[in-house]
This record gives sequence, C-alpha cells and structure tokens, in this order.
Amino acid sequence: MLFGISRFLINGWVEQLYIEPTNYFTYLGFDWVQPLEGNLMYAPFVLMIIASISIMLGLFYRWGTVIFFICFTYVELLDKSNYLNHYYFVSLVSFLMIWVPANARFSFDAVIIPSIQRRTMRQWHSGIIKFQLAVVYIFAGIAKINSDWLFDAQPLKTWLQAHHQIPIVGEYLQQDWVAYLFSWSGCIYDLFIVFFLLTARFRPFAYFFVVFFHLVTWYLFPIGVFPWVMIFSTLIFFSNEFHEGILSRLSSVKSVQKKTPLPKSRKFVRTAILIYVVIQLLVPMRFLLYKGDLFWNEEGFRFSWRVMLMHKEGHATFYLVDKETGRESEIQNSDFLTPTQQDQMATQPDMILQYAQMLKEHYDGQVLEYGGYKFPIDDPEIRAEIYVSLNGRPSKLFVDKKHDLTKLPYNLAHRNWIEPLEEK
Amino acid sequence: MIKIQRISILLILAVMSMASNCNGPDEVAPFDKGSLLVNFSDNLISPSLSMLQLTMEQMEADFVEFQLNSTEANLNTLRNSWKDAYMTWQTLKPFDFGPIKDYGFKAATGTYPSDTVKIEANILAGSYTLASAGNIDAVGLHSLDFLLHRVDALSHFTGNANYMTYAGDVIAKLKSETTTVANAWSIYAPTFKESTGTETTSGFSQLVNEFNRDYELVKVAKLGIPIGNQSLGIQMPEYLEARNSGISLELLRQNVFALQQYYKGNSTSVGQSGVGFDDYLIHLERSMLDGTISDNFTAILAKVDSFSGTMEEEMNSNAQGLDELYNLMQGQVVSLKTDMTSAFGVLITYQDNDGD
Repeated sequence: MLFGISRFLINGWVEQLYIEPTNYFTYLGFDWVQPLEGNLMYAPFVLMIIASISIMLGLFYRWGTVIFFICFTYVELLDKSNYLNHYYFVSLVSFLMIWVPANARFSFDAVIIPSIQRRTMRQWHSGIIKFQLAVVYIFAGIAKINSDWLFDAQPLKTWLQAHHQIPIVGEYLQQDWVAYLFSWSGCIYDLFIVFFLLTARFRPFAYFFVVFFHLVTWYLFPIGVFPWVMIFSTLIFFSNEFHEGILSRLSSVKSVQKKTPLPKSRKFVRTAILIYVVIQLLVPMRFLLYKGDLFWNEEGFRFSWRVMLMHKEGHATFYLVDKETGRESEIQNSDFLTPTQQDQMATQPDMILQYAQMLKEHYDGQVLEYGGYKFPIDDPEIRAEIYVSLNGRPSKLFVDKKHDLTKLPYNLAHRNWIEPLEEK
Repeated sequence: MIKIQRISILLILAVMSMASNCNGPDEVAPFDKGSLLVNFSDNLISPSLSMLQLTMEQMEADFVEFQLNSTEANLNTLRNSWKDAYMTWQTLKPFDFGPIKDYGFKAATGTYPSDTVKIEANILAGSYTLASAGNIDAVGLHSLDFLLHRVDALSHFTGNANYMTYAGDVIAKLKSETTTVANAWSIYAPTFKESTGTETTSGFSQLVNEFNRDYELVKVAKLGIPIGNQSLGIQMPEYLEARNSGISLELLRQNVFALQQYYKGNSTSVGQSGVGFDDYLIHLERSMLDGTISDNFTAILAKVDSFSGTMEEEMNSNAQGLDELYNLMQGQVVSLKTDMTSAFGVLITYQDNDGD
C-alpha cells in the first residue's frame, strides 16, 4: 500500500485528481464529503503513508489502521469518476484490519506491550478476510457469465488485439480463439480459484495460478496495483505453518510460545460479522432489482466486483437552453470537467445527471452577454445528446436531447430516460 | 487429483483450439500497428514538417525582400507565402505529440484569435519577449493575418519601423521553431515508430487521441464558435480564424482534408498512400464503420465546396448552410471518437490512470 500511495504522489495524481478539478462527482448520500483547500489535500496522503508504515511495522497498529481507513475512504468518496473496484477493496480490507489484531506477533506493538502477544487469533480474524477475497473473486466470476463475455469474447477481443505488437505471442492475440480462451478461462478462474485455495491439497497449485493470472493481467492491461494487491492478499489462504516458516526465516524474533486462551466471542461480534457478510453478499446482487441491460444502464454496477468487464466509450454534447428565448448554447465540457471526469461522465447515467445539475447551478442567475445582446438566465434547461459504444457494438443513442436533465430525479430508482440497448 | 485437473485443462485447451481451427477461413490476416506508425512518421509527418520548413523559409525570404523594397507587390508576395505556410500548418496540427508537443509548437504556431491590442502595445514598446506565455496570442501565423492583412497594412509597414521589425521577429521565430521541431522529430521518429502499445503515453494512443482532438478543434474553433453555437446562437465573427485575409473557410477545408487523408494513411504533400486507420478498421471487421467515416468526410468536404463566399460572407447570407456543415461535422465526431477509438482499444484520455 505504501507503494500505491507513493505512486499517487509521485505521479502527481493528487494535483490532477483532487486539486485541479473545479467540480466533483460525489456519491449519493455522501455529498458532504468535500476536498480540502488547495495543497491541504496532500495531508491525507501523507497521513496514509505514515499509517501504512505503522501498519507494516506493527507500531501503533490500531491507530494506523483507523487513520489509513479514514483517509483512504475519504479520498475515494470525493469523486466517483475515480472509482475503481480495487480501491473499494482496499477500503474494505483496511476497515476489517481495524478489528483484526494483526499486531499480536512480529510487531513493535508486541514488543512494547507484551500483554497483547498472542500466537493464535480467532477463526474469524483471518476468516473474514478470506471471505472478502472470496466475494471479490466469485462475484467477478459470476459477473463474467454474460453473453458479451462468453459468446462474443468482448471486451477482451478488443483489448487483446491492441497488443498484437508483442513479440511471438502478439500474433495470437489477434486471433479470435485466443480471446475466447482468455474469456472462458478468466471466468472459470474467478469462479473456482477460491475453492482450490481453501483446499490444502490444491493450494500451492492454485496459488501458482493466482500469480500467473495476475501477472498476465498486469502485463496486458492498465490496471495499476490491483494484481499485486491480489497476489499478496491471497497468501492469507496459506496455513499458519507456512507463514511461520517464512517469518522465522525472515526474522530472528524469538517465537512466542505462549498460547493465550481466548475468551469466547461475544454475541455482538458475531452479529456484526453476520451483518457485514450479508451486506457484502447483497450489495453486488442489487442489479437484479433493475430492469434493462446492466452494462448499458449501469444501475447497480459499482461496488459489485465487475472488474474489466466492459469497454464503453461515449461522446456527450450538453446544451444550455434559455427558456425565455428558446435559444441554446453548446457547452464545452472541458470548461467544467477534467478529461477523466468527461470520459467517465459520458457513459454513466448518474454522473450525467450530476453534471447537468452542476451546469444549471453555474448558469442560473447569470446574465450572458453576446454581441451586445443580454440574456438573463433563469432556471435554464440542460439537455444532452449522448452516443455510447459498448463492447465493440456500433455506437447508439444513449441519452436523447428531448429530456430536460435538470427535471429528472437523481436517486437509485430505475432510470427510464436512458435509451434502450437493443440486442443485436 | 492434480493430474486430473491438469488433464482437464489440457482437454479444454485442445477442444477450444480444435473448435477454432474448424473456422479457418474466418481467421483474419495479422495487422501491424508498427507499419501504420512507420507510414505516419515517414510519409505523413516528416514530409509535412519539411514542407512547413520550406514555406517558412520562403516566407522569411519574401519578408527580407519586402523589407528592402516595401511595395504593394512585394507585400502581396509575402501574403501569398504566408498563406502557403498557414495552409501547410493545417496538415501538421493534428500531430500534437512528441517534440511538437514538447516544444509547445502547436500553441506557438496556431493560437487564435490574436490579441491585436497586445500586438500594438508590443510594437509601440519596441521591446518584448515573444516566447513568453503571455505573448502566445500575439505571435504565430495568426498574428500575421492582422499584421499583413489589416486595412492599410502597407502604410503601417512603411510608416513604422517597429511594425516591420515586429513582423520580422514573428516570422523569424516561426521559422526557427519549425527547424527545431523538424530536427527533433527526426531524432524522435525511431521511438515513435516502435511505440505501438496501448498505454496512454504510447505513440499510437497519442496519434489517435490527437487526431480526435484536432478534429473536434476544427469543428468547435474554426466553425462552431464563430457561428454562435456556444453563444446562444449569436454569431461571433471576432472569433473567426484569419478574418482579415478571409481565408477561414480554406483553412477549415485544408484541415479537414488533412484529417481525411491521414485517416486513409495518405500523405497530403507527396501523394503517397499507405497504412491508415481505415486499414486497421477493415482488419477489425468494421468495414461498415470505415464506410460511414469515409462517406462523412466526403460529405463534409462537398458541403464546404458548395460555399462560394468567405466564411464571414456565408455567416451573413447563408447561416443555415453553415449550421448544416456543423451538423455534418458533429455526426462524424461520434464515429471517430466513440466508434473508431473503442474499436482500436485506445482510451480517449489525456491522463494516466490506475486502471479498472
């Protein structure tokens, strides 16, 4: 994680993503999460670095996890155009780590306060993290069971052919059968890998696949630190003896022999775990409540482990309409949004509505003056004509100009103003 | 059990490869982005840069001649070589990456509208740093539209030594920067030709991104803004490119023409035709899309050719015709930016990111 955060600082992403934009796409219900003033925005990142060092060393571990979780989640909540499944994963795991005493051994905390030293941890401590990983993989696998992925090998067909310049294998990446092979094996991998990791017998073999699979994706796709996160997190499936083996080789720390008897789990702990598990299972399933095509409408898409599932490209033209005169202006999206925000907004309905509101707020009450004519703008209409191409299909009208976007509700209900994606 | 696992995976592999071998005729011939980049660098970008160098040198020579002998005839010769350079620039401006980007060449050469107040102030002061960011709209090819083509331009040249010097400085800057960039390109070219990856910093990504960006720029800046598309329908003639000389429409046409030729992989100067975006689309079995894009380009150019006056005259007499042109150009954005780039698997973004 230290690496991931440093990557943010080194690449200047803090500036780009959290200081430069003038408008932010907040999450529904989290509008109160606002960026800090100017360079103060670096503070959470610096805190995260300190916190991740503290977690790694096991020095003031619990403080470290709390600070890390709060800072990381805060930054993620600022703008959904930066949403990534693996950031969500990091947020969840750092939340879980607050409750898991991973500082009980091999940590400075254990040296300072010997009373917390423990050889054993409760079943649920590692169990909950295994559960989280299982959720990620299995839902990612289920999400791949769709006709685009399995029967058209999209979007992989598009992504793989773009790598045709790689020596030796490049030529094969242009072949259809390779795209199908990748699609099917990716799906099978995601669905079943956890079960193999859980079985002692297949574990080394399965872990070899984990490393192989994630290295391939890391090489072929721009998915940043995600493969590394997964390669290291899945180590948790290995047995205690395995980890002890590594740790004793790594350090000269005298192994703690004391097996503190653990008090029985309290009831509220069990209830809390149960609630967490249920939420994690239900949230990715919520798409079932919506009509229409999931990829097209993106209702119930986020927080559902739909990783690398679609290739969506859109072009959005927004219009300001002055109700008084009926005149309209085309809006230059780059005046309001960064390139990433424009790109994300053009294909995601909730962001389209948020952007329309931003525009309305910007223009409402302004007096626009062009060539000596004055136009007092009062309660303007914002319309948009948006075309989107999904998984290699020819582009199609996504939002029709006939809707005044400012009058449409921004909530979790089904959005019937999105033009339907007719099946081929 | 492990063995069974391995065997079953091998079986799956075998079945899939057999299945794929059955549809042998469907297999497409491999395509190589590298050959596209080689074509762009060798046949499109380098010759355009050389051509721009030639026209800049000619413009400088004509300026020297005019400086020695400030006649109306020599001014007209200079105006013509300026127009040649400006038209050639239209064939280079889609390539805003590599050294062209690093040197800020597109901004320094092609920024408009010009700030004529700033230009006059510079001339009056007699001392200025033309390369400063603040002077970006007081230099470049477009500043010469004002200097060479304003009313009574000749008397400004003959009556004011500073005026002559300023024009000369602008021209010298253009020429020397063109030479710098042309040399830098020849050094960068080998890197570019090999940069076939999909990351946003790869040569191919930048080529596709800048192609799209330039297309949108033509649509918005050369046409949309002046005809009032961003000002509640009120025309904004002060935003016309090259309003004094009245060559706005010619510049627009040349820019669209260049993009059309580049789409096909054709050179605009040496009549060479090679691997372009169209070949890639056909390879990806998107011939329909290729047809749409080609037809759109043809229709746009035909529409431009249907106008008889300058753009300003058309704005006054045939605003509807220009709206129609705008709509044609708008339709093409979707085909290029949404369909073509997603078929290529290139992300339209100017920002690096941490993935999906």
